[in-house]
Amino acid sequence: MDLFFEQLINGVALGSLYALFGLGFGIVFATLGILNAAQGTYASWAAIVALAAADQYKLPFIPALLTGVVAAGVIALLVDQVAFQPLRRRGKDMLGALITSIACWIILDSLAGTATGHNSLSFPRGTYPSTMYHLGTIPLPVMQIITIAAMVAVTVGLHVLIRHSRFGAAMRAVGWDQTAASLGGVNPRYVVIITAFIAGSTSGLAGVLGGITTHNVSFMLGEGLMLKGFAAVVVGGYDDVRGTALAGVALGVLEVMTSQYLSSGLRDGITYALLLGFLLLRPRGLFGSLTYSRA
Amino acid sequence: MGNSVRLGPWVFATLAAFAFQTTPALAQGLTPGEYKIGFITENTGPIAQAGQSFWAGAQLAVEDIKSSKYIGASSIVLEPKESGSDAARSIQAMNQFIADRSVIATACCILSPVAGSLKPVVLAAKVPLVIYGATAAGLPQPPWIYSMTILPGPKDTATALLVSDAIKPKTAAYILAADNDAFKGRMAPTQKALEAKGIATAGVVSVLTKDTDFTAAATQAMGLKPDVVLVYATQQAAAGAISALRDRGFTKTIIGNDVLGPEAIYKKMGATVVGIPFPVGFSDTIGVSAQGKSFVNAYKAKFNVSPDSYSAQGYQMVWFVAQGLKSISGTPTRESLSAALEKLEKFDHNVYGGEFMKDGQAQTTGTIVVNWSADGKLVPWTAPK
Repeated sequence: MDLFFEQLINGVALGSLYALFGLGFGIVFATLGILNAAQGTYASWAAIVALAAADQYKLPFIPALLTGVVAAGVIALLVDQVAFQPLRRRGKDMLGALITSIACWIILDSLAGTATGHNSLSFPRGTYPSTMYHLGTIPLPVMQIITIAAMVAVTVGLHVLIRHSRFGAAMRAVGWDQTAASLGGVNPRYVVIITAFIAGSTSGLAGVLGGITTHNVSFMLGEGLMLKGFAAVVVGGYDDVRGTALAGVALGVLEVMTSQYLSSGLRDGITYALLLGFLLLRPRGLFGSLTYSRA
Repeated sequence: MGNSVRLGPWVFATLAAFAFQTTPALAQGLTPGEYKIGFITENTGPIAQAGQSFWAGAQLAVEDIKSSKYIGASSIVLEPKESGSDAARSIQAMNQFIADRSVIATACCILSPVAGSLKPVVLAAKVPLVIYGATAAGLPQPPWIYSMTILPGPKDTATALLVSDAIKPKTAAYILAADNDAFKGRMAPTQKALEAKGIATAGVVSVLTKDTDFTAAATQAMGLKPDVVLVYATQQAAAGAISALRDRGFTKTIIGNDVLGPEAIYKKMGATVVGIPFPVGFSDTIGVSAQGKSFVNAYKAKFNVSPDSYSAQGYQMVWFVAQGLKSISGTPTRESLSAALEKLEKFDHNVYGGEFMKDGQAQTTGTIVVNWSADGKLVPWTAPK
């Protein structure tokens, strides 16, 4: 039974990474109307910058983590303003933004590969907390606790921001119709800039935490998160962060339990079967609203 | 009679011309020129660290062959095309090499499935292919396909037996890259050998080559309560699995494999990899031959790092092709080069001090079991006291 609970915690921690990444991905889609293929590279870059901060500039864990997170936010903001804003101004549709985001993905991915020498790097021991706690007989690494806590905090924070604040109302208004939001006194450009930064930072947080816990900081880090984060958004529902968080955690637990009790070979297959099932049978996801019609 | 007298000079001249056409090449040896090897690189992707070592070793060999005038005024040129260890990209690159008639031989592959996918393409096109890293049995097929990979399977078994004799485990768990047939093939004989010594198999934990999170796999392996864990996985997966085991507090013996050899692995894993025994086909500090020392010094001078097993294999691969070219008279073709390579049994240039070719597969004698020391050096493994 201990093994079951150990794996359950492993699954929740892994799923928390998917959820964190999915939160950033989902906000961009729901508010800015962009299916951003470059979102994964924000996670890769966050981990690379945080590693440089910790290893080369000897910053402690929290400042290094924040440096990576802020860097991802800034990159997301720059990409949005350089690549997506001109399209928005010309009233281009989602397909144009998707193609542009693929171009951004390729550029940022190549640059990340160059920055890491196309190698997989890792955070040196001592640059992140490594204490092992025990819940009875079950070992609980502190990084797993931090990852789960970060996911809960970001989910609650984003939910409060989007559903219970004036800025959140503005985000939803811009997501629904930018012209109408402007007529209602909202500055769409300001909302878009802040939203892009939040989305990039959130995915960046997943990248830094994922880079530490998996000992893998590379240009490919974001690709894995991208696919699973997308699945979390689809299963959870595009316009509700609680759904994305729950779906991400559920995917993580499902993956780990599949490996433990069935076969590691079936793990990804089950995830994508679930994704396909939701796209076919319940495209709005678990928490998505019925009236939402972005696509 | 008169006619025959008149024809005599013409017949003589014709025969002389024919002889001139065919024999000068025998006397002159290899026609001077630049001979191109189409090199499918794996400098990016999940096993880039190994791929970069192979590529560096091959580049150095090209320079050494030229500076030593091993093939006279001729030289070898490497034409790289990157595959990122992806089978589809590798096939695309190979097709481009096949279409380019200036490419006289090709080299590829670290991953066995990728090498296996190229095999029918190469055999159909009849172009020499020298595999520099893939380890699955049955890949070499002279006269077209050769492998300069030092097969790690027997060395894995020898390492496991050596370590087991020292630490006397009762049970062993295995972490296996289940999507890699080569590692499956390497694990089976070791498992059999350990079981024959009374070391029970506690279980086999499957991971996938492209996995990044190994926490669950480590938990699963530790749940089997083994005395020793043997890791049979590609570089990134092995590094991830070992790190996850240590992160979760597994302090017993872990036995690795040759993928832990490159210096980049020590840089990446640091203290986590210290003390873990694994076999190497080549070490820059242990049991190095004279040619091996020369290789080590030149490699350090050029790349500012020490060579590893992969560098040595990449280096030997180019020398193997060069030796084939050297034995050809006249202008080589893909056909004549493949025939020349098939005849090679001993190597003129040998960094291992005991390498030979058998049935298209390079082999060495002996096993060097090493581990990384705390100061980042490969040292002979000794049993913990």
